[in-house]
Amino acid sequence: MNSLTPDKKSELRLTPKQAILARIFHWINLISLLVMMTSGLQIYNANPVFGGREGWHIPALFLLGGWLAGGRHWHFAAMWFFALNLLWYGIYILVNRRWKHRFVSSKDIKALQISQNNKRRAYAWHRLVYTAIIPVLLLAVFSGLGMYKPVQFHWIVDLFGSWQALRIVHFITVPTVIVFAIAHYLLGLKVGGQRLIDSMFW
Amino acid sequence: MRPNQVFRHPLRRRHFLQLSGLSSMSLLLGGCSLPLLDTIVNKASEPLNQKVETLLFNPQKLAPEFPISAIEPNALLVNTYNFTPDINPATFHLKIDGEVHNPLSLSMAELQKMPLTSMVIRHVCVEGWAAIVQWGGVRLRDLLHLAQPKTNARYVYFESADGYYESWDLASAVHPQTLMAYQKNGQPLSVDNGAPLRLASPVKLGYKQSKWVTRITLVNHLLASKGYWEDQGYEWYAGL
Repeated sequence: MNSLTPDKKSELRLTPKQAILARIFHWINLISLLVMMTSGLQIYNANPVFGGREGWHIPALFLLGGWLAGGRHWHFAAMWFFALNLLWYGIYILVNRRWKHRFVSSKDIKALQISQNNKRRAYAWHRLVYTAIIPVLLLAVFSGLGMYKPVQFHWIVDLFGSWQALRIVHFITVPTVIVFAIAHYLLGLKVGGQRLIDSMFW
Repeated sequence: MRPNQVFRHPLRRRHFLQLSGLSSMSLLLGGCSLPLLDTIVNKASEPLNQKVETLLFNPQKLAPEFPISAIEPNALLVNTYNFTPDINPATFHLKIDGEVHNPLSLSMAELQKMPLTSMVIRHVCVEGWAAIVQWGGVRLRDLLHLAQPKTNARYVYFESADGYYESWDLASAVHPQTLMAYQKNGQPLSVDNGAPLRLASPVKLGYKQSKWVTRITLVNHLLASKGYWEDQGYEWYAGL
C-alpha cells in the first residue's frame, strides 16, 4: 500500500477545498430555496399570476403544502432560513473580505472581453453567473416582503409600480433561479469537474 | 338553515362554539385535510411569525389611499364559503356585546347617521390577487367607543348571518381604516359583497373581512374557534 501514498498526496493537493461556512451557506440556501420555490408555486396556483383563476396552473409534482394554507405555512417558515442565511453570509463575506476575491471582478470582465484562453473564460463566466444570482435572491426577499406586508412596507409596492408588477417580479425569480441552477452546475463542471462540484457540498 | 332564521335567532355563543367544535372534529376524523408535516411546520413557525407581524404592525400607520379613478371595479372577486344570506336591512340590527360596558344593538338607520368614512384602498386576498376598491361606512373604532370596551378586552369576534365567523386583535380592529362598510365603489353595498354591513380594512387579508356581519363580540382571550378559515388551517393574524 505504500506505493499508493504519493498518488494519494497529490490527489489531496488537487482536491479543491471550500470553507466550511461557505458550504453551510450553500446547503441552507439550496434547501430553503427549494422549499421557497415549491411552496411559492403552491401559493401561485391559488390565483396564477398570469391569467388568474383561468390561467395555467403548475403541476402538483412541483408543489409543496397540499393547498394554499399549507403552501403559506411552508413559505413563511422557510423564509426565515432563506433570508437569515443570506444575511449572515453577507456579513461573513464582508468581514473576511471574501467578496473581494471570491466574486466576479473587473479582471473577469476583462478576461471575457479579451482572453483567448477558454479555461480562463469559463472561470470568468462561472464567477459572473454565481455573483449575479445574489441580487436575484435579494430581489426575491425584497419583493416578497412587499407582498407579505403591503401596508407596513407600501413603499416597496410603490417602487414596483403596481401589485401585478410586484407579483410578476416575485414570480420571475423562480424560473431565474432554475435556469441559474442549471448554468451554475454546468459551469462548475466545466471549470473544476465533479471534484469542484463535490467540494461545495462535502 | 334559512338565512332569515339565522338572522332572527342569532346563534348563541355556546351553540356556535359547539357547532364549530363539531365541525372541526369531523374535519379531523373525516379527511386529515392537513397533512402532519404541514401542521408541524405551522406549529413551529406561526408563533414567531405572529410575534414579528404584530411588531411590524403600526396601529397608527395609514394604508395608502388611491384616487377614485384608480378603482378597479372588476378586480374584486366574490369569495363565499357557503351561501349568500338574504337580510332585510329594515329589520337588521348590529349587536355589539361581550367585554363592553354598554352593549349595543344598532339599526342600519342608526349606523348611517354616524360619521361616514370613505376610503379607496388596496384589498389583498390570500390567493394573491388584489383590487383597488372604495369602501364607505362607520369606523369600527367609533362603534367600539360607543360600546365602551372593558379594559380586559383584547380580541374582537365577528359573527355573520351565513355562519361565517372571524376574530381579530383589538389593535387592528380599532385601526382608523377598519370600517363596518355599507358602501362599495360609491354604491350601496351589494348582497354579494356583504350587504347590509361588512367588515372592510386594508390592514388584513380578505378572509378576515367578514361579510353580512350581525354581531361583534369583544373577548379577553381567543376561543378555540378563531375563524372559519383559521380553524381549517389558515393563518390567524393575516395582517398586512
